[in-house]
Amino acid sequence: MAEEGAAAGAAAEKVIHTYPLIRHCDMPEEMRIEAMELSVTACEKFSQNNELAARMVKETLDKKFGPAFHVVVGESYGFEITYECTTICYMYFGGNQAVCIWKCS
Amino acid sequence: MSKRLPDIWRNKTSEKSIGLILKKLRVSAQKEATKSRANLAEDEALEWLKPRTLIKPDDQDEVPDADLEEEVGRVLTTINPQWVLDEVAYHYGQNRFALKAKPTFGKAYPLYIYQGTAIRKDSDEAKAQIAAGYGMVGFDDAGPKRAKVKKSAAEEEEEEEPEPEPQPPPEEAKPEEDAVQEEEKPVPTEEAEAAPTEVADEQAGDEGGEEAAGEEKEEEGGGPPPVEEVLDIKPRVKKLANQFNFCERAALTYNNPRRSVDTQTIPPPRANYGSTCLQSIIFDFYQEDYAKKMREKEEEKPKRLRKKAAKHAKSEQQIHDEQLAQRIREAWTILERLVNQNIYDDIAQDYRYWDDPSDEFREGMGSLLPLWKFQFEPMRSHAVCDVQWNPHYQDLFAVAYGSLDFTNQQKNGCLCLYSIKNPAYPEYSVVTESPIICLDVYKETPYLICVGLYDGNVCVYNAQLTLESSYQYKSDSVRDKHSNIVWEIRWGARLIDGEASFFSISGDGRVVQWAVMPGELQATTIITLRSNVPPIPGPDGTLLTVNSCGSCICFHPEKADIFMVGTEDGMIHTCSLKYNRNYVNSVQGHHMPVYRINYNYFNNSIYASCSGDWRVKIWEDGRDEPLFMFELGSPVGDVKWAPYSSTVFAACTADGKVYVYDLNVNKYRPICVQAVVSKKTKKLTRIDFNSRLPIVVCGDTKGTCHVVKLSPNLRVMCKPPKKAQSVDQRTLQIMKLDKLLSLVRDPPFQTGVVDEKFDDD
Repeated sequence: MAEEGAAAGAAAEKVIHTYPLIRHCDMPEEMRIEAMELSVTACEKFSQNNELAARMVKETLDKKFGPAFHVVVGESYGFEITYECTTICYMYFGGNQAVCIWKCS
Repeated sequence: MSKRLPDIWRNKTSEKSIGLILKKLRVSAQKEATKSRANLAEDEALEWLKPRTLIKPDDQDEVPDADLEEEVGRVLTTINPQWVLDEVAYHYGQNRFALKAKPTFGKAYPLYIYQGTAIRKDSDEAKAQIAAGYGMVGFDDAGPKRAKVKKSAAEEEEEEEPEPEPQPPPEEAKPEEDAVQEEEKPVPTEEAEAAPTEVADEQAGDEGGEEAAGEEKEEEGGGPPPVEEVLDIKPRVKKLANQFNFCERAALTYNNPRRSVDTQTIPPPRANYGSTCLQSIIFDFYQEDYAKKMREKEEEKPKRLRKKAAKHAKSEQQIHDEQLAQRIREAWTILERLVNQNIYDDIAQDYRYWDDPSDEFREGMGSLLPLWKFQFEPMRSHAVCDVQWNPHYQDLFAVAYGSLDFTNQQKNGCLCLYSIKNPAYPEYSVVTESPIICLDVYKETPYLICVGLYDGNVCVYNAQLTLESSYQYKSDSVRDKHSNIVWEIRWGARLIDGEASFFSISGDGRVVQWAVMPGELQATTIITLRSNVPPIPGPDGTLLTVNSCGSCICFHPEKADIFMVGTEDGMIHTCSLKYNRNYVNSVQGHHMPVYRINYNYFNNSIYASCSGDWRVKIWEDGRDEPLFMFELGSPVGDVKWAPYSSTVFAACTADGKVYVYDLNVNKYRPICVQAVVSKKTKKLTRIDFNSRLPIVVCGDTKGTCHVVKLSPNLRVMCKPPKKAQSVDQRTLQIMKLDKLLSLVRDPPFQTGVVDEKFDDD
């Protein structure tokens, strides 16, 4: 047990997080999971191109939940947005990317 | 009808003659008016017309009727009173007046020329027009009309699209004979090529025939055409009353009043959110989450512990109490050891210093000195199913309490850790739900002990956890446990991912690798031991393949993927982790279940096996026949090579004896046979050499572990030859075994070797 804990502590330095981490979200469960999975897919698919990733997320969400979604994918940015309630999802992914999804039409 | 130009034909007449003409005209106009009125009354279409009064100019002279009626004789002459005979004009070029030249028209001199539209009715052109239906058509002539025309003329006319003929005003609707009125008739341009002079001639000719209106019909029919044809000609006269006078009819409907109805919905609620993401923020958040996850995972693992902890809901006082209790417990442990060492002082002395002095005189024979007996009171009726020294602490050994009496199976089992410093009570003990059949201590982390249970489960126990906690990992009873007794369990190499793994062999014929994942064990079946028994028809007709029951497993010391499997039908299979169906090698080793297989510590190709057929056999890899075979006269529960010598091994039998062989001393007989327990009540089950101390532990079926000391003759070391004093012990041991093996191999295996032993007995 102690040995495992020590191993974890040692590995913490180089551990790379690959899972999505929701920072702020008021979406309904189903939508949230959808958005999360979509972001993961998009970010993995376009790991070198955040713009395409954002576009993919936006267009897919538009199709699924109606138009006027906005998606920001980036590593470092700030934002102040107005969104329709129950449509925001702000999450981190892959340890260095932040994805902000909201809807406002 | 003959058309006439209205006037404009001004001859040089006297005023009288003009007055006469006017008078005549007026009379005829009055007649005409009355006549046309009558016609009009009949005509419904022209009802709207009102009679008109003649408009006179204000300054018109009043002429009494008498004067009007008066006949004034006038004579038209050909002399133009205004004629100037010799007209003179100034000629600038000659600078003098000269006579102007006058055109000569005979006696007429045109003052004004007007291109008329009237044509002579007997001209070809007029005839063609008549034939085409222009003119000559009254309002009452509706319907097809027959006309006799020259065919040629008709054809010509039909090619031309006639333009609609404007209706003449009512007064002039039927200008039968009066030529004053003009009927406008569009004349095709190609037909209007008449030169002014020709027109003039025509007019002049017509003037004389003014009065001959009555004869017109005769004239019309007068010239019979050379070829007559009867043609149906549709009336081409449009009944257009007046081109200026038409009315438009329309109606206005009500316009519906307009209304607008609208509602306004509440816009969906909105909110604001703002944040900043930076690499540092993301990193921190992930760290926090990761730490939380790790904490949860920690808590997840000893669920049973956590529940208890939650039940306790420790207050500070309780924590303090516990800490105090822990310290007291430690103190008591030390005290207990002190007391025990005092009680067992003689045994401790024997263990440390006493060597059997008779060994000096008994060459090649040794003895075992019984030292402590370890017993755990609750496990008095259980059998010691497995025993193993701890690889790290030389005084510690683990004992698995189970039951080998399958007719009277115990309901529970126990895992105990004993230290030879305290024979009275186990250092660690945990009771399991099912009897423990086998155990293995993990060499890398000696506090982890995996056990195989009678019910087919495997568990991993952590000796560092508090005593209240039971297993740390346990196989899923539903999903992947064995369906039979787990006969032996061995830790294996770490997996690629770094997880520890162990292997278990069970009576269900499977060898399963268990990966110790966080919180769970993940099972992978390595091999299923196929029996050579043909498939047996099942109850519903299906063929059931029979698995042979595995009974022991032993890993090759160096090649991590090679392992030996012993089965209950006596087979010894060499298997590889890489093949899950076929054996690398297969030997019919025994006639009864193979209980244990053990590799030699010094030579990886030598291994020993023991079986229920009373025999211990020493094998070499790749040989189908054993190198040595020993008959022990009772089922052999366990055989182990000594860690200190390449030629010494020990076996324990069901009749309570421990046999120690040293092949270097005696290839046919044990150098020590000692009854450790009474063979009436107890059987020895397992034996294990301590890796560093000259002691052996063996378990019996009554829950007792016996620690015996090997006498000096049993643990003789190799003396280095005089030529090579510096050679270390291990090399010497290997050389010793090789030398021995070469003797056995050359000449190749002799059956007499074994027989000789029996002959001696």
